[in-house]
Amino acid sequence: MATAEKSLKENVMKYTIPIILLLAMAATSCNKMLDEKVVTNVTDEFYNTKAGFQTAVTGSYVSMRVFYSTERGMTLTETGTDIYTNGSDGDFKFTSQYSSQLDSRYAHTREVWNSFYQTINTCNVVVDRAAKIADLDDATRTKGVAEAKFCRAHYHFILMEMFGAIPLRLNENAAIVTESHRDSVSAIYDAVIADLLAAEKDLPNTQSEWGRATKPAAEHLLARVYLTRASSPQAKPTDYADAAKYADMVIKNYSFQLLDDPGKVWAQGNENNAETVFAAQYTTDPLYGYADNNACRFFLMQYDVLKGMKRDLPNGTPWKRFRPTKFLIDTLYKDRTYDTRYEKFYTRTWFTNAPIDNLKAGDTAVYLPGYDVTDAQIAAKPYMLVPPRLYTEKLYPSLNKFADALRPDNQASGVRPFIVFRLAETYLIKAEALMMTGDKQGAADAVSVVRMRAARPGANLAETQANRDAMKVGPADMTIDFILDERGRELVGEQLRWFDLTRTKKLVERVQLHNEQARANIRHTHMLRPIPQDQIDRSSTPFPQNPGY
Amino acid sequence: MKKIFSRLICMIACLLFYQLTQAQNPPVTVEGNIRDAQKQPLIGVTISIKGKNTGTQSDANGHFKLKVKDAPNAVLVFTYVGFTSYEEPLKGRAIVSVILEEDRKKLEEIVVVGYGAQKKKDVTGAISSVGTKAIQDVPVTNPQQALQGRAPGVEVINNSSKPGDEPQVRIRGSRSLSAGNDPLYVVDGIPYAGNLSDIGTGVIQSMDILKDASATAIYGSRGANGVVLITTQRGKVGKPVISYSGSYGVVKQLGETDMMNASKYIEMRREANRTGGKYDDNDQDGSDKKIFNATEYANIKKGTDVDWQSLMLSPGYQNNHALSIAGGTEKTKYTVGFGYFKDQGVLKLQSYERYNINIGLDQQIGDRVRVGASLLGSYSLRNGETYNGIDNALKMLPIAAPYDDKGNLITFPTGDSQQPNPLLDYVNNNRVELMKRFRIFASLFAEVEIMDGLKYRLNVGPDIQNYNYGLFQGKNNTNLLIGGGDATASKGNAQTLAYTVENVVTYNKTFKKHTIGATGLYSVQRQNVDISTTNVRGIPVETQQYYNLGQALNVTGVTSSLSSWTILSYMGRLNYGYDDRYLLTLTMRADGSSRFAPGKKWGYFPSIAAAWNMTSESWLKDNHILDNLKLRASYGRIGNTGINPYATQGVLTRIPYSFSNKGALGFVPGDLRNPNLTWETTTSADIGVDFGLFNGRVTGVVEWYNQRTTDLLMPLLLPYSNGFNQVLANLGTSRNRGWEVGLGGTVIDNPKGFSWKMDLNYFRNRSEILSIGGGRTEDIGNGWFVGQPTYVYYDYKKIGIWQDGDAALAAKYKAKPGEIRLEDENNDGVIDAKDRQILGSPQPKWSAGTTQRFSYKGWELSIVAFARMGSTIKSDFYQNYNTLFGRYNNLNIDYNTSKNPTNDFPRPNVNQERPNNYQSLAYFDGSFFKIRNINLAYAFPDAWVKNMHMADLRVNVGVKQPLILAPYRQTWKGVDPEDVNVIGIDAPATWMLQFGINAKF
Repeated sequence: MATAEKSLKENVMKYTIPIILLLAMAATSCNKMLDEKVVTNVTDEFYNTKAGFQTAVTGSYVSMRVFYSTERGMTLTETGTDIYTNGSDGDFKFTSQYSSQLDSRYAHTREVWNSFYQTINTCNVVVDRAAKIADLDDATRTKGVAEAKFCRAHYHFILMEMFGAIPLRLNENAAIVTESHRDSVSAIYDAVIADLLAAEKDLPNTQSEWGRATKPAAEHLLARVYLTRASSPQAKPTDYADAAKYADMVIKNYSFQLLDDPGKVWAQGNENNAETVFAAQYTTDPLYGYADNNACRFFLMQYDVLKGMKRDLPNGTPWKRFRPTKFLIDTLYKDRTYDTRYEKFYTRTWFTNAPIDNLKAGDTAVYLPGYDVTDAQIAAKPYMLVPPRLYTEKLYPSLNKFADALRPDNQASGVRPFIVFRLAETYLIKAEALMMTGDKQGAADAVSVVRMRAARPGANLAETQANRDAMKVGPADMTIDFILDERGRELVGEQLRWFDLTRTKKLVERVQLHNEQARANIRHTHMLRPIPQDQIDRSSTPFPQNPGY
Repeated sequence: MKKIFSRLICMIACLLFYQLTQAQNPPVTVEGNIRDAQKQPLIGVTISIKGKNTGTQSDANGHFKLKVKDAPNAVLVFTYVGFTSYEEPLKGRAIVSVILEEDRKKLEEIVVVGYGAQKKKDVTGAISSVGTKAIQDVPVTNPQQALQGRAPGVEVINNSSKPGDEPQVRIRGSRSLSAGNDPLYVVDGIPYAGNLSDIGTGVIQSMDILKDASATAIYGSRGANGVVLITTQRGKVGKPVISYSGSYGVVKQLGETDMMNASKYIEMRREANRTGGKYDDNDQDGSDKKIFNATEYANIKKGTDVDWQSLMLSPGYQNNHALSIAGGTEKTKYTVGFGYFKDQGVLKLQSYERYNINIGLDQQIGDRVRVGASLLGSYSLRNGETYNGIDNALKMLPIAAPYDDKGNLITFPTGDSQQPNPLLDYVNNNRVELMKRFRIFASLFAEVEIMDGLKYRLNVGPDIQNYNYGLFQGKNNTNLLIGGGDATASKGNAQTLAYTVENVVTYNKTFKKHTIGATGLYSVQRQNVDISTTNVRGIPVETQQYYNLGQALNVTGVTSSLSSWTILSYMGRLNYGYDDRYLLTLTMRADGSSRFAPGKKWGYFPSIAAAWNMTSESWLKDNHILDNLKLRASYGRIGNTGINPYATQGVLTRIPYSFSNKGALGFVPGDLRNPNLTWETTTSADIGVDFGLFNGRVTGVVEWYNQRTTDLLMPLLLPYSNGFNQVLANLGTSRNRGWEVGLGGTVIDNPKGFSWKMDLNYFRNRSEILSIGGGRTEDIGNGWFVGQPTYVYYDYKKIGIWQDGDAALAAKYKAKPGEIRLEDENNDGVIDAKDRQILGSPQPKWSAGTTQRFSYKGWELSIVAFARMGSTIKSDFYQNYNTLFGRYNNLNIDYNTSKNPTNDFPRPNVNQERPNNYQSLAYFDGSFFKIRNINLAYAFPDAWVKNMHMADLRVNVGVKQPLILAPYRQTWKGVDPEDVNVIGIDAPATWMLQFGINAKF
């Protein structure tokens, strides 16, 4: 009995005390254990440091890649115009044809909307937090804010061109907000111009890292914005003059100059040339690449199934999405005597890379001469001869501005930067602005600069000069239609056409005249894109759709 | 919480002093033998002294020895699983031999519940148990499969036949929309995350499935989807028993997918061109020359007709070996086991191989302390986890030849660059994919009986997991041949470290007619996952595979991450019983989770359950028919943590950019903070009746339940103009209601002759979304509709094919004869997005399972079958292999032509990449009845076995999946309708013929 008692007592001592200790420990340590520390990821407190601030500045640029050189950006700006229509493939022919599927559920508009607003919020982080970051030097701060404002203005402007009155977001949001509303177009213009003027004041003339915003880039965009507002109901009397002024500053104040050969402007590896004012950046480093850069594929016809041809990297992957209209090929590029742009910008000959029968490697396999030939002539050739009357949705001259042979393989997406602003356009902005203010001579001079550069080089100086003179235009030529034609010839594919046509209110007229696929469907409604349905559905406050959708 | 525990400790102390004042008599040694009705010795019977804590177990000869204090007044209690417990007053004797009677009512059977075990008759919650026998009836590759068709309310659906794949388990349906519906698994008391395949199935002794709020609420924030408790084998008292079991099975595909042969394909391609106006029937040969390329044309002339599937498939096998040694003394019990398992799929590149070790140890130290450990170690090798070689084989044209004249594989057998030879993956290591996993999962415990009825137990469960993954795709791998590109490789590593520490205090006491059981718990669980992956392109020499990423041309991606979470818990449970008639269980769990924001970390989950053992009432006691009737009811709340760590933290998204062709780091605001996030809460009510008839010959259970899940974690979609797409929020409500019936019976009972036993279960569950927040009734993007199940198919409905005669009407709908005719649901004359409708749900109307067992002398035949009726299933086969434009081979279906006005499938057309609205062809009635397994076993007679110096010897032969009855299979020529939501194309469904042997020494 005594031993039992003893052992029991021992047990009590032995086990009860540790239990009490354990329980006590448990009760005190518990709340600390539940603290959550983020190791892998970065939370938004990072923005309050210098390094974080700089990643936000870089983050301000990222939507450039969502828009430029992508299917969404190109489909929205090039197809369904007077110069481009749909090819045989792709899910977005309705954009080109303005059919009923072009409605508020359209993915491209939603993607642009979503991405731009996310990035605008990033720009707002830079602008709002810059003053509060302790370890930031003034130079970095000022330049960073200016870059963010340039980007913010760029996005707001494109959104407004596409959708009209849009929400203007000028402050960082970090809260759950379900309200949204549309701001007035004039307020948006004011904000965009204010941002650009501030950016223009603080940005350097050049940046050591190519692709960052610069003073001339801000000026070029300012010129475009003024030009756009000038022809809108929100126009101010000084707008055309301001457009011409800022264009002229880009032309005169820096060392930009047109390249001698228009074919070199878009040559791969040469994107950072004397004519480039601003470019959206892509890289050959796959770790920093972006999957949607497919510009090299959309304009390409289906060469790879034709006799003697197979798909290879230099020729590219033919997605045959976008096809030039007859108007572009036959009318705008009618002059092929003096004007070299059609032959520079378009691939019309394919050379055998899969020898078969009588076609040896390197022989011409396919040739699109650009003029009519007889059936007998076609039959007589060992290769495939395709006159314009035989063009199809899969067979047509292919724009080569974006050809991309530096991709690691034909499956990979593009690695080429995309030239967003270049001096040739600056001249054409200046020309349009001067013409609208009545200075037709000044306008003709500006247009002539661009045209003469495209003149065919002659066998000798005199012949060259003669060709250049033939390209020259005079005040009498200066009409808005001529300017639009010239922009089409020079800037085809450069994600400007739809904006040019809506700015000049020529979209409906020109599409009805020149685009067979879209002619029947296009209406005035189509001057604006439909607001993404998500925005309307998710907003707890009424968010009206654009009329007609 | 602190208060409760200090009171508890006070109580413990008081009871201790009460105990110390008790007097005792001098001890006597008592011994004897224990046998069953057949006079066979019973090993491991627990012999205890009534009202005392001391006791022992019978040895290998059924013999026991026990020191008894106060012998004249002592009563010995004999308890043994499966037998009626028996009390024998000692009356001063020193030798006591007894015969125990088998208990068919099984009320004394022990059921594992959360943090403890209970006698079946004392259970108040809804619990289904699956025992060793049932687990071993069917050859399974993972524990979940052993549950298939076995328990009411438990639905197990195989994801694919790919070796190493795990099935989906749903207990009482799906309730969550985005926070997960998988049950919580608990192995030997420790919550178990990750691949259950890591546990060798031979190691499992039993699985208990907790279903209602009372049973699951003690797992608090993780109990909402049900809990599966897995108990592993432990050693038993007796001399060492060496067991070996082995099996070998031949695995073959259940049937080839019915693709077109050469002549059917050729005709389909002609028809496709005819539709496109490119086939001139007046000049067949000339037209053939145009529509077939030179290679194809030559092959047709040669009469080439290749069955590509059969070239890709070869019989697989399953090989299973398990060896264990178990035994023990009264103080020490042990088991050590080794296992090896290999599943070679019918596609050469898919296999799964596992090595297992398990150790179980229990040691009694003195009278009041027990310590023990179980350790599960595994190492597995899985090949071809993401390989899907059958896809290219199904698409390949039957008129394409695999080999050239010299016997070499032709890279592009048809010349089409999108159709590489699928056999290329099989040669020259063109594709290597290997996942190596290593895991040690342990459960260690120490238990102290502080005084009679009061125990403290410490459980510690470390869990170490590691994987090493490699994927190499050579230049001539089919994936890269399609895209074109250089050899790629990737390599991934992950390490998971987790531990659970639990402190459990239990107190059990009987005062006259009152039985009290109390359980208190404090636990911590923590997990830490560290992952990294690297992807490269341009491996210089292909034999390097993924072993030297550093020499590759480009690094295309590098990721790594660290993620950790903690759950702290307090739990209290009180069981009260009165006179074996009324039972009451109260539980309360408090969980603190690191995943939620400060101030929202703690959640509380109470439950109450009551049961009434009606057969213990005097007015039922004397009836001879009903030997068990128990009415149960429970009500309570349980949670679902279901969000990933860091969801409340406002994480930035890295988006790359570059300047001057150099990478630049960009961060944009990605996730919005939601400091109000909390648990999904399920409030569950359950009413059940357990019954037994004719001395246990028929037993059964009927249950009804109603669960309502509120605060469903869902994305709150935001207008993007404010910078964010969505934020996770607690928005919606869903409901699950259902019935479950389980029946077990002995139809014919003749232990010496023929007997027939059966188990049956039937259940129906209706899940329904009640609201999705924000006043919305539908979220089309996510496929959520108020009033509908949590998963539905929302699409256009095919009502036939436009026939030639309907051309005018078809034109109104912008369709042509031969195209799919869709239902104009809103009758507005246009087929547009508004005509989409809910076509069905994978949720069955009802499910049922049965096990039939026939035995005669040493022979036993068991059949396991189950059925799922009234579900809708989507089949990728009917979507991917119905392109009907001639470029790829096609399912051998009845397509429409001008001469064949069928409404089944559309007309081939060369001018399409797929038929318009092809998705509408993919929906089928998913009902099926399956015999999962038939097994015939023979146990050699005891005398013969003894002569061989063995304890037991059995052999068996089984067929897995011998029969499937389903409209999808019989009417639509599909292979296997069983899959999770969508019948995917990854590995062909299989059947198996298996031979096995079990021996004990």
